[in-house]
Amino acid sequence: MEMDIPMPDELEWLEADLQLHEEYLDEDPEPPPLPEEEASYIEEVYEALQPEPIVKPALPIPEKVQPKKRFRPLSPNLLDPSNVDDSVEDKRCKVNDSSAIEADDDWLRYSPPPQEESVVIVEEEKETFISRYVTDIEGDFMPVTAPDGDRVYAKLVKEEKDGKLKKLDVKAPSKGLMLEPISVLLQRAEEDAIQKALQASVSSQVDANLVGTPVVNERLWVDKYSPNSFMELLSDEHTNREVLLWLKQWDTSVFGSELKSTTDDVLSALKRHSTVSQHKKVSSKNLNGWNKDSTSNNETFREDKYDHHGMQELHNKKIKDSGPPEQKILLLCGAPGLGKTTLAHVAAQHCGYRVVEINASDDRSSSTIETKILDVVQMNSVMADSRPKCLIIDEIDGALGDGKGAVDVILKMVAGDKRSDSGVENIVQTEQSGKTSSKKKKKDTPLLRPIICICNDLYAPALRPLRQVAKVLVFVQPTVNRIVSRLKYICNKEAMRTSSVALSALAEYTECDIRSCLNTLQFLNKKKEMLNVLDISSQVVGRKDASKSVFDVWKEVFQKRRLKGARKSIESSRSMFNEFDSLHSLISNCGNYDLILDGIHENILHLNYHDPVMKKTVKCLHSLEVSDIFHQYIMRTQKMSLMAYQPAIAISIHGVVSQVEKPNIQWPKSFHRYRTTLIEKVESLHMWHNKISPSISRHISTKSFVEDLVSPLLHILSPPTLKPVALHLLSEKEKKEMAHLVNTMVSYAITYKNKKIDPLPNKLKFEVATDKDTPVLSFDPPIADFVNFEGCSSNYFILGLAVKQLLCHEVENQKILQSSINRSMHGDDGKEIVKEKFSKPNRVVENDKNATKVKNPSGPTPTQQEKHTPIITVVPKSSETSTTTKKKSSSFNFFERFKKVSVNGSQLTETVKKVATSERDSRPVLFKFNEGFTNAVKRPVRMHEFFL
Amino acid sequence: MLWVDKYRPKSLDKVLVHEDVAQNLKKLVTEQDCPHLLFYGPSGSGKKTLIMALLRQMFGASAEKVKVENKTWKVDAGSRTIDLELTTLSSSHHVELNPSDAGFQDRYIVQEIIKEMAKNRPIDVKGKKGFKVLVLNEVDKLSREAQHSLRRTMEKYSASCRLILCCDSSSKVTEAVRSRCLNVRISAPKEDQIVKVLEFIGKKEGLQLPPGFAARIAEKSGRSLRRAILSFETCRVQQYPFTNNQVIPPMDWEEYVSEIAADIMKEQSPKRLFQVRGKLYELLVNCIPPEVILKRLLHELLKKLDSELKHEVCHWAAYYEHSMRLGQKAIFHIEAFVAKFMSIYKGFLIATFG
Repeated sequence: MEMDIPMPDELEWLEADLQLHEEYLDEDPEPPPLPEEEASYIEEVYEALQPEPIVKPALPIPEKVQPKKRFRPLSPNLLDPSNVDDSVEDKRCKVNDSSAIEADDDWLRYSPPPQEESVVIVEEEKETFISRYVTDIEGDFMPVTAPDGDRVYAKLVKEEKDGKLKKLDVKAPSKGLMLEPISVLLQRAEEDAIQKALQASVSSQVDANLVGTPVVNERLWVDKYSPNSFMELLSDEHTNREVLLWLKQWDTSVFGSELKSTTDDVLSALKRHSTVSQHKKVSSKNLNGWNKDSTSNNETFREDKYDHHGMQELHNKKIKDSGPPEQKILLLCGAPGLGKTTLAHVAAQHCGYRVVEINASDDRSSSTIETKILDVVQMNSVMADSRPKCLIIDEIDGALGDGKGAVDVILKMVAGDKRSDSGVENIVQTEQSGKTSSKKKKKDTPLLRPIICICNDLYAPALRPLRQVAKVLVFVQPTVNRIVSRLKYICNKEAMRTSSVALSALAEYTECDIRSCLNTLQFLNKKKEMLNVLDISSQVVGRKDASKSVFDVWKEVFQKRRLKGARKSIESSRSMFNEFDSLHSLISNCGNYDLILDGIHENILHLNYHDPVMKKTVKCLHSLEVSDIFHQYIMRTQKMSLMAYQPAIAISIHGVVSQVEKPNIQWPKSFHRYRTTLIEKVESLHMWHNKISPSISRHISTKSFVEDLVSPLLHILSPPTLKPVALHLLSEKEKKEMAHLVNTMVSYAITYKNKKIDPLPNKLKFEVATDKDTPVLSFDPPIADFVNFEGCSSNYFILGLAVKQLLCHEVENQKILQSSINRSMHGDDGKEIVKEKFSKPNRVVENDKNATKVKNPSGPTPTQQEKHTPIITVVPKSSETSTTTKKKSSSFNFFERFKKVSVNGSQLTETVKKVATSERDSRPVLFKFNEGFTNAVKRPVRMHEFFL
Repeated sequence: MLWVDKYRPKSLDKVLVHEDVAQNLKKLVTEQDCPHLLFYGPSGSGKKTLIMALLRQMFGASAEKVKVENKTWKVDAGSRTIDLELTTLSSSHHVELNPSDAGFQDRYIVQEIIKEMAKNRPIDVKGKKGFKVLVLNEVDKLSREAQHSLRRTMEKYSASCRLILCCDSSSKVTEAVRSRCLNVRISAPKEDQIVKVLEFIGKKEGLQLPPGFAARIAEKSGRSLRRAILSFETCRVQQYPFTNNQVIPPMDWEEYVSEIAADIMKEQSPKRLFQVRGKLYELLVNCIPPEVILKRLLHELLKKLDSELKHEVCHWAAYYEHSMRLGQKAIFHIEAFVAKFMSIYKGFLIATFG
């Protein structure tokens, strides 16, 4: 049966045949099936036939033809013996899905209808299928050259067969002659040939093993035995029910009430169409109550329904009341392999949703995820499966950056939902104004379908906002028994022999991760191995790469693992090794070494280890030190690969201090707190530094400030000799000291400030108030804080409140004065003199001059002195009007305080400044102080009294 | 104004403590040839004062007219731009800045900003080409990279720019920078020098100093002139006229450290160590540099220690200070030192007393 090249006469015959019996040609697109013995042969045939124009014009059969008599173009080649033909036929029967007889029967049965159709086609198109001129043919064609040189063009027509015709020819190829493309056939033939050769060679060696060649398409047990119904779920039943309940709460809003009959639904649907005319294009065929038609307007429609459907109002109200659950998102979290995804899928299906899953393998940028969610939440498929969708976002904590996008979108939707609840009316209005607006509305579309998010780490930073709005369900490990019974069931089904002891050991080892249990079992089954209790760790292919929380890590570091009964038999060195290993993997999986070591540092001194000479402590702290140096080195040189050695440090600490008892572990706050307060303090120091004039500040660095300056400065600023009396009552020497102090405070930009701000009326009411009611004046900037060590109070003298107020007042005055001096430097001299007249420090300086002749660059001229002496005398005179000295001082004190308030209030300093400028004209201004609401305290005050 | 600032010598002639250095500097400047200068010495010895006096000597009174600028610089560092905030004090002749403020990004300050400043050459009123002075504070805190980038700047723009560097310890300044500068060591003033200064101030203020009082202050100051003057003023404020046995108020933080030392001596246990940790944090929070704490703590501990142990304790203090410099979290290292000390001390106690 060898055939090399097509005979010329055959081709000739073919050519002729094409013209005469084209109708037959197409009728048999059926490729010869691939009988194994003929594989090579067919291959040859194909090679030979390829250049030939057998590309099939799609011509239906013009008349009934008996299948056996069907003319086959290949038959001349395949040739004579009808038995070959038969065999071909037989093979076809074998390989093809339907038996040959059936096919034939079908063909006979169904042939008439296509016949009629096809006849029409033939009549229409017959002429143009083959032509001698290209122009006659429309569309694709193929040139055909006869042996004698005649060339014709055959039109290529795609076969158009309806289902019935397809049935007729068992499998109609859509293109090409054969059922499968030639390449596939070639490959298969080759494979067969090899197979055969192999078999031949092997069979001589007597080998039966190959009979059981592995079945490739075995399913993973995990998939095979995954629970399909709610009852089969392995996870904790309480959790299951919670999820189901939550999903059920959606029912009313998604499906409408179950009580409602379909006719109601139809009615409401119809009603919807009548009310909103814009959406008529949506076919009214959709009889389902829920939203075949709802695009983005679902909510609106429902609202409309509520408004217009009077008949159902009562009924609907009920629906509205029991609308979607409070928290519209469900967040499932738990360790991998506990069945979160399975539960979500099963529960959603159970409640009649179609599950749409977005997981880490999908694109999760916020834009794509938004469209996806919108699709799910608002669209409904037109396809057969028109159940409402339920979105499951798996592994939402997976990729931080991308996952965040998803979280943001969901949050936005939830937020938008809340908003739209209140402003439904508006939406309805805008919705009706036109379609264009609906596009803008996209941002705050309501959430109408349940969304279930699944994560492993509930406390992933990206999920923080989501945690607040979602209903969080934490998965707990199912009991070992449940898992073991399921595993046993599966093993029985798979005919794998196991012991329940081994299975429970396996479950324990994998921490009840069903997935990894099943994978392990399947793997062992493949290897034809038994599950061995002792060697689980070596048998299980790999431990789960689950990172634990840092708390767990610390606990592991500080706590010696208790050896349980079974493992006690193992020699201690082995267990040591195991412990090291597990700890190492634990720590390196956690990865945040810096935090781990901080935590160790924080908690290590609280442990109860026996340490008489502190050797252990020294050792641990030394380890911590090493790790710190190490960390710094890695960071500086960016040699991250050295990070791998960090866990060893923690393990060494474990070796030294680990105890059996449970440690009480705290989050390492102190270092963090130290860092933040340090930054704060440095910042405040810096601010202050900038306020001091450069001639002084350049000599102060942070270091020298805290080391040398603060304590003396505090002492200097609060001299115990300063008496809490009014300025004019001080002796000359005291005045001088006071001036010096004020000068110092101003030059170091220090003043007093109210820490506790009392409302003004309060202060007026309790004029002789207790200390608790009066504000606490403290240094501003808070330099006193720098010596405020816990458990150690600085022993500098703390000035009385009155003195502080006095000082503060003076400092303000001095500041105003200095600024005015600075300004007047640029102005003319005359004005300067007028202004300085009222300056108290100058006066003091004059006194200085009289007494000690201390040089002051801004010393006033003698004329000024003369000018302002009378003014000083004014105040004492006025206060002398009071009866007794004691009373005088107290009353003065009161007004002193009164003044203080006025200056302290920052707005009032402005007015004071203004007044000061007006004072330039040296016109005495009567200042009626009327602040507050008591008219009892009212007294004309001269402006300059404020400067005293 | 505090006395520290009030009696700060404004010119090189009035300097009381390092007269020889001042005279040399004066000669240096009057010859119109000023090399780069590196001032180093412990704090409170008068480096800054000398530098200011030197600037005044060079440029006259105009050097004292400075303005504070707080400017944000945009530095292009390859792929990204970095915003650096830097406070500078500048007169028409000189600029003062503290490049180590930028932390680990100080390199960019040196590479970009200082270079930029150094390039611009001021023109004298007389048309002479003057030179500009850059005063860099705390050069020892500069990172190695920054110091390396500094040296090229020093050479390249030496025609138009002089650098005056100021630091506590020259050992933290790279060899390369040191060799490009004239190193001026400002030693801590001797006690009699401090006494001299205090007496001078007392005279100016018209105070009666009892004999030996100034010497006591000087002794307590640990040879820091700043501290001596400050505590002198404090004494003045606390009590005047002075009495011979007047208490000189100590630094609060030093008090606190000695309290810690007492705690350590009293009990050696992990619990006590935990208390000590809290106190150390208190100190650190108040911006006191960890090295200073460690040094002071050692000082306090040595006071109370048996002389047998002193050597060993010093050794460990040095060891832990070194590792503190290598590391990042100072508390680890100070604590480790404390633990080590406790261990040694306890072992010693057990050995001697059973």
